[in-house]
Amino acid sequence: MEQVKCFMPQTLAEALKIRKEHHAVVLAGGSDLMVSNSMGAGITPAFNSPVMILTGVKELKGIRKNADGSVSIGALTTSAEISRSEFVHPLLKDAASRMGAIALRNSATIGGNIGNASPKGDMPQPLILLDAKVILKSVSGERMMKVDEFILGSKKTALADDEIITEIILPPQEFTHIFYRKIGMRRANAISKLTLSSAATVKDGVVVDFRASSGAAGPKVARSRAAEELLIGKKLSELPAVKEAFLDAWNGVISPHAMPEYRRNTTRRMLAYFIDALAAGHPEGRVE
Amino acid sequence: MYSNVRFKLNGEEKCYEGDPLRRLLDVLREDYGLTGSKEGCGEGECGACSIVKDGELVTSCIIPIGAVNGCELLTIEGIRDTEKGKCIIDAYAEGGAVQCGFCIPGMVMATYCLLNKNPDPSEEEIRVGISGNICRCTGYDLIVECIRLAAQKGAKLWNK
Repeated sequence: MEQVKCFMPQTLAEALKIRKEHHAVVLAGGSDLMVSNSMGAGITPAFNSPVMILTGVKELKGIRKNADGSVSIGALTTSAEISRSEFVHPLLKDAASRMGAIALRNSATIGGNIGNASPKGDMPQPLILLDAKVILKSVSGERMMKVDEFILGSKKTALADDEIITEIILPPQEFTHIFYRKIGMRRANAISKLTLSSAATVKDGVVVDFRASSGAAGPKVARSRAAEELLIGKKLSELPAVKEAFLDAWNGVISPHAMPEYRRNTTRRMLAYFIDALAAGHPEGRVE
Repeated sequence: MYSNVRFKLNGEEKCYEGDPLRRLLDVLREDYGLTGSKEGCGEGECGACSIVKDGELVTSCIIPIGAVNGCELLTIEGIRDTEKGKCIIDAYAEGGAVQCGFCIPGMVMATYCLLNKNPDPSEEEIRVGISGNICRCTGYDLIVECIRLAAQKGAKLWNK
C-alpha cells in the first residue's frame, strides 16, 4: 500500500499551515483513528489522506481558569487530566472518568472526542448541557461556536478543512443539583449504551434552572431548551404534576435508532428519578 | 518538521527513522526486539500491550510511533530487573497469579503504575487499577491478591 504523507508539527502555527496546505487529518490521542484505520497486527494503519500527528503541539495541552470564571481546556488535554482537574465541572469529570479504562484515558483527548462526533462519544454530552464552546483556528483566523452547533450529526461536524479544534471553553456554571448516568455493559472499558446528564438550580423552593442532555440516544447529543422550560419556574411541589408532560416532551427530543424501546424507557426512568429526588427535597449536591 | 522520532526507551536514547504512523507496539516488538508487550485486541481495550509513557499507563497498539517524540517509555523489559519490577513479578509467582501468562506483562505494567501512585491500594482500587487489563484465565482474584502482596512486601519501595 502506498504510504500517505504524515506530518509531525511541533507548534500550532506549523500545524495550521499543514492543515491549510494538505488538509491533513488531525490525529490527537489516536484512540479512534488508529483503531478505525487499523489493518491488524504488524501492519501500519492505512489512512486514505495525509495525516498530522498533533501530539507535539504543547500549546494545545492543559486546563486553565480564566479571569471571568470560565475554564479553558486545550484540545489535546486527555480524559485522565480532565477527570483530575479541580477547575472542570463535575459533570464533565464524570464523563471523562468513565471513558474506557486507565490506559485509554491517558491517550484519548477532549478535542478528539468532539471531533470524532460519535453518537456514543462520552464528553460531548455534558459539554452540551454546560453550553460549552469550541474554538476553531485556521491560518486565516479563528471562530467560536457552541459544541451543540459544532456537532452536526453522527460523525459530522462543522470543522472546515483548514481548521483545527484548539480549545474548549466551559462557561461558569453552578447548579444546586447534578445527576449523571452512564449505562454500559461493564463498569470499565464499556462503550456507552446510553448516557444522561441533568442539572437543576433550586432557589427558595422554585426550580430556576433545569437542564438535561442525552447521549447515545440519537445521531447526536439531544438537548431541548423548550422541553427544559416546562420545568423552569415551577415550585418543587408542582413537579409531580408537570413531570409526565416533561418526560413526554423529552421522549420527542431523543431519537434512538437501535433498541429504541429500551433507550426510551431507560431515559424516562433516569429523568424521573432525578425529578422525583428534586421534588422530595433532595439536599444540594449530587443525586446518586 | 521532524523527519525522525527521538525518545527514551527503557533508559536508552533512541532515534527511529521510518513511517511515523506505524503502531508503537509493532516498533517495540519488531525493531527493538521487545516482545514482552503482547498484541491482544489491537484496539486499546485489553491491556496486553500496556507500557508506561511519561509515567502513565498507555496501550501501545493505538499509539503511532510519531506521537512519542520526546517521551520516556518503559516496557516490561525495562522494569523486570529493577527492584520494583522484581517485587511485582515475585509476588505474582509466589501467589500464583499467572496461568497462561499472555496478559501478565501488561498486568505487571498496570500494577507498576498503580503502586507508584498508590502504594497501599484497597481491593477496590486494585480492581480499578487493572480494569483495562483483561485476563481470560484467572478470574482476577489471585492477581488482585498478588498485587496486595506486592504492596505489602515492597512497602519501602513504593513509599519512596
